[in-house]
Amino acid sequence: MSGKTKTEMAIYAVVCLAILLVPVFLDDAFLLNKYARYLVLGMLAVALSLSWGYAGILNLGQATTFGLGSYCMAMALKLKTIPVHTGSDGLPDFMVWNNVTELPWFWKPFYSMSVGVAAGILIPALFAALLGWFMFRGRVTGVYAAITTLAAMVVVQLLIIDQQAYTGGFNGITDLAQFDVAGFAFDAYGPAIYYLVAICLTASLFIAFAITKSKAGLIVQAIRDEEDRVRFFGYDVALYKIFVFSVSGAIAGVAGMLYTIVMEFASPTFLGVPISLSVVIWVAVGGRQSLLGAMLGALIVTGMQGALSESETFLDSWTLIMGLLFVLVVLFLPKGIAGAVETIAGRFERRRTLARRQSRRADTVGEAPRLERLS
Amino acid sequence: MDIVVSQLMTGLSIASILMLVALGLAIIYGVTGVINLAHGEFVMLGAYVAWALQAEFGMGLLASLVPIFLIMAAVGWLVEVLVISRLYGRLLDTILATWGIGVMAQQAVRLVVGGELRYVQMPESLSKSVTILGATDSAYRLFILFVALALFGVTWVIYRYTNFGLKLRAITQNRAVASSFGINTSRIYRLTFAYGAGMAGLAGALVSPLKSVSPEMGTTYVVDAFMVVVLGGTQSLMGTLASSGILGELSGYLAFYSNDTIAKALVLVAIVALIRFRPQGLFTAHART
Amino acid sequence: MSSPQLVIDQARVSFSGFVAVSDLTLSVGQGELRCLIGPNGAGKTTALDLICGKTRLASGAVRFQDKPIHRLSEHAIARAGIGRKFQVPSVFRDLSVWDNLHIGRSARPGVLSNLLSFGQGDDKVEIERLAELVGLENDLKTPAAHLSHGQTQWLEIALILAQNPLLILIDEPTAGMTQQETKKTAELFCGLRGKHTLIVVEHDMGFVRDIAETISVMHQGKLLAEGTIGEIEANQAVRDAYLGSGGIGHA
Repeated sequence: MSGKTKTEMAIYAVVCLAILLVPVFLDDAFLLNKYARYLVLGMLAVALSLSWGYAGILNLGQATTFGLGSYCMAMALKLKTIPVHTGSDGLPDFMVWNNVTELPWFWKPFYSMSVGVAAGILIPALFAALLGWFMFRGRVTGVYAAITTLAAMVVVQLLIIDQQAYTGGFNGITDLAQFDVAGFAFDAYGPAIYYLVAICLTASLFIAFAITKSKAGLIVQAIRDEEDRVRFFGYDVALYKIFVFSVSGAIAGVAGMLYTIVMEFASPTFLGVPISLSVVIWVAVGGRQSLLGAMLGALIVTGMQGALSESETFLDSWTLIMGLLFVLVVLFLPKGIAGAVETIAGRFERRRTLARRQSRRADTVGEAPRLERLS
Repeated sequence: MDIVVSQLMTGLSIASILMLVALGLAIIYGVTGVINLAHGEFVMLGAYVAWALQAEFGMGLLASLVPIFLIMAAVGWLVEVLVISRLYGRLLDTILATWGIGVMAQQAVRLVVGGELRYVQMPESLSKSVTILGATDSAYRLFILFVALALFGVTWVIYRYTNFGLKLRAITQNRAVASSFGINTSRIYRLTFAYGAGMAGLAGALVSPLKSVSPEMGTTYVVDAFMVVVLGGTQSLMGTLASSGILGELSGYLAFYSNDTIAKALVLVAIVALIRFRPQGLFTAHART
Repeated sequence: MSSPQLVIDQARVSFSGFVAVSDLTLSVGQGELRCLIGPNGAGKTTALDLICGKTRLASGAVRFQDKPIHRLSEHAIARAGIGRKFQVPSVFRDLSVWDNLHIGRSARPGVLSNLLSFGQGDDKVEIERLAELVGLENDLKTPAAHLSHGQTQWLEIALILAQNPLLILIDEPTAGMTQQETKKTAELFCGLRGKHTLIVVEHDMGFVRDIAETISVMHQGKLLAEGTIGEIEANQAVRDAYLGSGGIGHA
């Protein structure tokens, strides 16, 4: 492992540790819930950074996989409320209102929570894999891939809204049971849920980190730079892209599940353009080519939003400010805050090595100098 | 018979608006390579300018068309100078920037004018209905069709017969070669952007008496117009004309026969399929390089 | 001699009606260093493209080691043992020289095996050897974007060598190189002779003289002549083909 990787890993670990320690110092159920929500969105940013920053696939529909995950969890949690929020035959309330008489087949597996959790990872991953297969096997890249992801998201959202009897339509799925593991219930307003989210965030951050540091991660970055060059080395470019796209989808799916647990409902707005736009903004601001930067970007921007939106005037101008911030970042900080930090750090590093080299040269006057390399 | 004609006329009316929006989008995309996600907001702003001119200065819609074109062209010019011109090396980023601009425009309008629906008066001389082949249609819709065709004609003449149009076509064919022949691309890009924005503004103004004006109205237009561009390709204006016609008629029928949500979803699925299987559009035989 | 390693058999390529290559038949033996020359627009680059799968044949066939490859996908052709150096040097500009070479080592191209591969592994020695071969041993940590034009050309050559293909297709390797760099490149290629089969498209006749055994001349999408440098220079048809472009030496 190179020194740079070690340093990076140490920084990642410190940040995750700091996040995990928050409940020790904070004893406010409401704030913990809010921070847990921010962390979930941070996970979503990690997912986008992986596909956009590393593989160059600008996913304007990252919320699709996020929403699919959240619906999987909501379906499982809804069926756990039998018979409180379901009719006598264990039918979710909104289905009763829509005159559905029998639980549809695709709801039935969600009686089991473990199936629900597995589905919340696999269905988003599978969706991403299929969409990726469709795009990348057909060499759809760049701007066109971005538009395709956006269109696909709106289609899924329209379908969910349209199929009200099975999905709750506009209202989404509400009045859910608490998530529990082996009898231990996760209260949306307790520290346990915060820890759950923080651990999932740490795990996905390090999984994504490991991928980017593997040779496969290197190849993916090479594909981002020069797709054709990679292809003519014998790598199946589409397969690599599909892989990264699916992992990104799976992480977003887990984030979606957690979001449902924290928010206590699922809604078609979770698959909406506004959320997708927000993720893109967070990642752009934080730095798309840094997983940690992207995550911190999400925390900073949503945190700022949360703080400012408490005052009435700011709530209205917030979107305007966000739009402006976004345009400015795109124009002047294409690699985001993380990119700027890296550039500054790199400049220091270069100055240091230069100084070291010069002092060494002073020591070794008389040896044959290799000047031709220095130009 | 009359129901067929009336369906046909509805379709043509949708098509003419679609074409006005898509024309600007297609020219901008063809010449500069930028997919302008703020194009719908240009439409929306055009509608609001029409509303403001009427509410504040009592100007009729017909009289305000030229000022609206000029104002929106100035907006487009400004956007190009301030933002787009800095991003020509990074096409993917232009999507982001124009998206951000669209968000800002929507929110700015919401802050300044308010989010409630606004209405623009139809010109009185055109508020009658006309009977064609047994079907009645509003004179205003016919007027829009006429204006759209006239604007298309003007654009076509510019494109085909002026020196400027020759440069546009050269750039659309091959950017690198065109600029190596000494064509001042940055000036052309600027003018193109301004022209496209002006056209979008006109589309917004013309549609404003038919539909209520709201900050969100642009979103649907940009999606449909994008579909027109994808279908028609960017190599010829005729492609844009033909595909607006097809899509206008099609969405007229779709809205008539099926539910709106599914119709919207189908349009998007069609976009995705076209991008995947025929990225150069239906009407162009373009070598893949 | 056994059957040739690469056979192009009556290949035809057209771009929306424009015929770039027609009836091209060419065979290259194993370990040979073949130069492909011809006036502009003769179809030389297209010939390389159709071998490596970048361009598809309208008709005809390409056989490599007696197996048809013209229907395989690009990565499958590369895996069969064909490497390609592009005319415009194409390296991964955001990545370091070391990472570039690491990617070039593509003997195991699968996603899973590369997912479990971290750090340098057993590639270290080979990567350092290649870097030294092209004079980049002191720039292993430098981002490829910071290299000079000549260095970038060499890096791409090193990438192809890292891939270690049986057949290497090279498109104008000396474009933009100084005379000294060109000379070094010629030495490098001569050293590869025998270990790899090379097909080199080149305009610089001095360079071709330095390296070539057999020269194939293309003209208007067809093979015009084939032979040693002396035979080619004496060939009347070749002279005629080059007439418009100021003679063979300056083409």
